[in-house]
Amino acid sequence: MFSRVSALGPSRPLLLRLPCIPCGSEAAMETRGLWTLPGPARTEYKIQRCFGTNSVIYSKKDESSVPVAKISDSVPESQDNKKKKAIKNLLNMVRSMKVEVRTSDILQDTKTHTTKTEKEELKNLGRTSRVSQKAVEDSSLESHQSLRPELVAAATAVADSLPFDKLSVKSELLRQLRKHEKDFRAHQGKETVKISDIISDMKITKSPTSRIYTRPDRQIQFDEGLGFLSVNELLEHDSRKRKGLFMGKRLNVFPVAETAPEEASETETSPTLWDVEFAKQLAKVNQQPPQNAFEEMIQWTKEGKLWTFPINNEGIDDGADFHEHIFLDKYLEDFPKQGPIRHFMELVTCGLSKNPFLTVKEKVEHIEWFRNYFHEKKNILEENNIQFN
Amino acid sequence: MVPFSGTGQIRSYHVDWRMLRDVKRRKMAFEFADERLRINSLRKNTILPKDLQEVADQEIAAFPRDSCPVRIRNRCVMTSRPRGVKRRWRISRIVFRHLADHGQLSGVQRAIW
Repeated sequence: MFSRVSALGPSRPLLLRLPCIPCGSEAAMETRGLWTLPGPARTEYKIQRCFGTNSVIYSKKDESSVPVAKISDSVPESQDNKKKKAIKNLLNMVRSMKVEVRTSDILQDTKTHTTKTEKEELKNLGRTSRVSQKAVEDSSLESHQSLRPELVAAATAVADSLPFDKLSVKSELLRQLRKHEKDFRAHQGKETVKISDIISDMKITKSPTSRIYTRPDRQIQFDEGLGFLSVNELLEHDSRKRKGLFMGKRLNVFPVAETAPEEASETETSPTLWDVEFAKQLAKVNQQPPQNAFEEMIQWTKEGKLWTFPINNEGIDDGADFHEHIFLDKYLEDFPKQGPIRHFMELVTCGLSKNPFLTVKEKVEHIEWFRNYFHEKKNILEENNIQFN
Repeated sequence: MVPFSGTGQIRSYHVDWRMLRDVKRRKMAFEFADERLRINSLRKNTILPKDLQEVADQEIAAFPRDSCPVRIRNRCVMTSRPRGVKRRWRISRIVFRHLADHGQLSGVQRAIW
């Protein structure tokens, strides 16, 4: 029935669709909450919950409003007159809906040839639905009994209101109701859908052979492009080309896991070989091989293998000015001011000051080493009458 | 990971044991370079007393044999050939010819005049 409605096109603003029926404890729980409201307000509230405001009925929303069954569930608990009122209201609403349909139907009648074909279509659909409905009936007889008489009455009212084939409409409606009930029952836990049932219907599909990189001409294999790469490397190259690992818009498919409190310390004292290997593999995963020579040069520059351009010709950049390199006399205070040693050390400092390849620290280390050496060889110096303090 | 330029051959070991020994000598020479320089400056000296210079001679002889830079041989990096090695490229003449003919050496072409 619903398919027929949609087949007529968007000109029909009516959405005739009975909402789903969760009967049982769920509805009962909800109705208990309504006890606090006074009597007439309760029924009004229920009706409004079932159908919403009038505008909702004529809209095309697919959200299921609170079902009809809520009224029916409250029947055994509430009094008889309330039940009658509820049903009356329901039928009134259905009839008001009926009015709306007629106006649009009149509009549609102006298009003569279309209605004829559509009616034929409807008849065909009706036949098929009737056949299917019969099959459903034959298979599940017990479900036929589970529907309440109020629902059946409502379904007949709806079917009457529509200008289509009434019997088929009614049968369609009832089928839908039964299906919803069955689904709810299953959801409650009486029936469980087994995964084997689902899988048994599924076919095994083989994915088509992934496109292998076809070289344009065998002869020109190794001349241009990536002809020297093996098949695996080519596939890697392809996958990398589409998108980098961490680029692209975030899909928000997976929930963001909160950071669990890290464990204090691991029991093992030293990491095992497997751990070391695993860590190495993890580090390697992120280091994809460079795509081209530019990326390779970038990598080398980061490692320090390649100079950074433009080259700094200022010499060793140890942060020291020229006067610190040249005037090294302050380090010669410990040495004697006269004698061959002073002569020797002055030659040393002269040579160091002219050396652009050493840092100041290294030069100072040289001078200090000499001081230490002369301290050690003091006895030899004294033999030759050289004073060293 | 395979680098971009290393798609040909990947060498993870020294070519032979002689190359390995040469590598060891280079490392040691680097370690002792400063001390050798300082003690040599004492030795090759006319100002300081000769006693000191003799002592320095003995000290430098006491250093390990492999610490002197003279024992380093500029072998070919690819084949470990001790002779016929061009200093600028650090490869032997045979490898040089091979690479140059394949265009792997930038700016190197066959001479014609």
